[in-house]
Amino acid sequence: MKRRHFLLLLASLALAVKAPCTVTDDAENQLKQWVGQVTDITSHASDRESLRTKVRPILEHIINFDSMTRRAIGPGWRQFTPEQQKEAIRLFTTLIIRTYTAKFTPGEVPSVEYKGVTSPVAGRVEVSTTALYKGSKYDAIYRMEQSNGWLITDIVVEGVSIVANYRSQFQSEFQQGGAAEVLKCLNRSVNTKE
Amino acid sequence: MKISKFLLLALLGALALSAAPSRCDAVSKQSKSVNVKAAAADDDLDEYKDVGAIPDPIQPVNRGTFWVNHQLYHYVLKPISKGYDFAFPEKVRKSLFNVCDNLEFPIRFVNDSLQFNFKRAGGEAEKFGLNSTVGLCGLIRISDRFPTLRDIPRADTGQTFAKWGVPHGCYVVLPFYGPKSVRDTVGLAGDYALSPVFWVSIWLTKIPWVPAITAPDSVRTLHDKLEAYETATSNTTDRYLSVRSAWVQYRKKVANQ
Repeated sequence: MKRRHFLLLLASLALAVKAPCTVTDDAENQLKQWVGQVTDITSHASDRESLRTKVRPILEHIINFDSMTRRAIGPGWRQFTPEQQKEAIRLFTTLIIRTYTAKFTPGEVPSVEYKGVTSPVAGRVEVSTTALYKGSKYDAIYRMEQSNGWLITDIVVEGVSIVANYRSQFQSEFQQGGAAEVLKCLNRSVNTKE
Repeated sequence: MKISKFLLLALLGALALSAAPSRCDAVSKQSKSVNVKAAAADDDLDEYKDVGAIPDPIQPVNRGTFWVNHQLYHYVLKPISKGYDFAFPEKVRKSLFNVCDNLEFPIRFVNDSLQFNFKRAGGEAEKFGLNSTVGLCGLIRISDRFPTLRDIPRADTGQTFAKWGVPHGCYVVLPFYGPKSVRDTVGLAGDYALSPVFWVSIWLTKIPWVPAITAPDSVRTLHDKLEAYETATSNTTDRYLSVRSAWVQYRKKVANQ
């Protein structure tokens, strides 16, 4: 009986140490799987348009575009009507996917090295990576949050956060003309030929 | 008796949980975090408020210079860069870049020393010695074969000022050079003063095309700079603000290296 209790205690100790770390490992493993899927598509894509079409469903599944849009717009988000919020998310999603895929050349595969995971606050992790692509090295940090599984909420390439970068633009536009101005600028950018 | 043993186990289990490594502490609070998430969602909105921010009191002037630079990049520098890529095979371009980069060793060595980072300064000296001799005057970057030498972050004078605690000052867009702060403009002058390539290029001005290739921030570094500029200006709603934010964030990363 005593031995049973001792084993139970050992099991609870093991769980206490192992379980939380497994969660952060889960985020990293999840990311590895997604990056693998994206690079696989990139290596087989014949042109940029087909690359974008194939990658889009994966990115929509792994990136929390709602959160990204809210944070990129900032406190002004509260003044958007539900329809305007929906439209902003739709346009911003297109812009982010375009920005992300613009860095890839069909047929060229980056080699990604995973350098560690940190958890700055509860429910958030930052996965540090280094990508070697077309002879250049890039540091990229994937910020992920837990909401129905781990989702990407920001990508920081060479110190530059995608969300922070758009925040500076949207803040200025919101100050000029509110939600309508932000949507107008988003629309213009989405409809601009690359 | 059974209840007391159960309580003892529960207590020990709870103690074990609270003793989990700090890296994992965050995760143990997750269920609580999920509960307050809806309430906290609005607080997240201001999370990126100051990231990439810099005083920009002369924005109208900066925007004017930015516009001129944009035209310059597209209609003058881009064709020059393409012409250079066309005229010289990649191996020649790379070798030329390596030679000049190797000669710019004093910028990195002096600044690493001024930052009291003598380990990196030593690494730079080692790199210079190796590339100048075995690497045939810097033509081949032999040092890249050694991970400790390959990954030394590049030091510059603006970075040294940042590490000394000198603030950015206001944002300025310089003609041709593009985004800078007052601090980094002074830093740029420091980099030039420490660059033997710059002084040799001035000496060689009798042959005009030589400094056009060898000088710092000349055609040999144009390709990468134009690519970075195009990344920062594509898919934006305001390219001026995008470049400003990207530059401030990048320099912050450099200052923390």
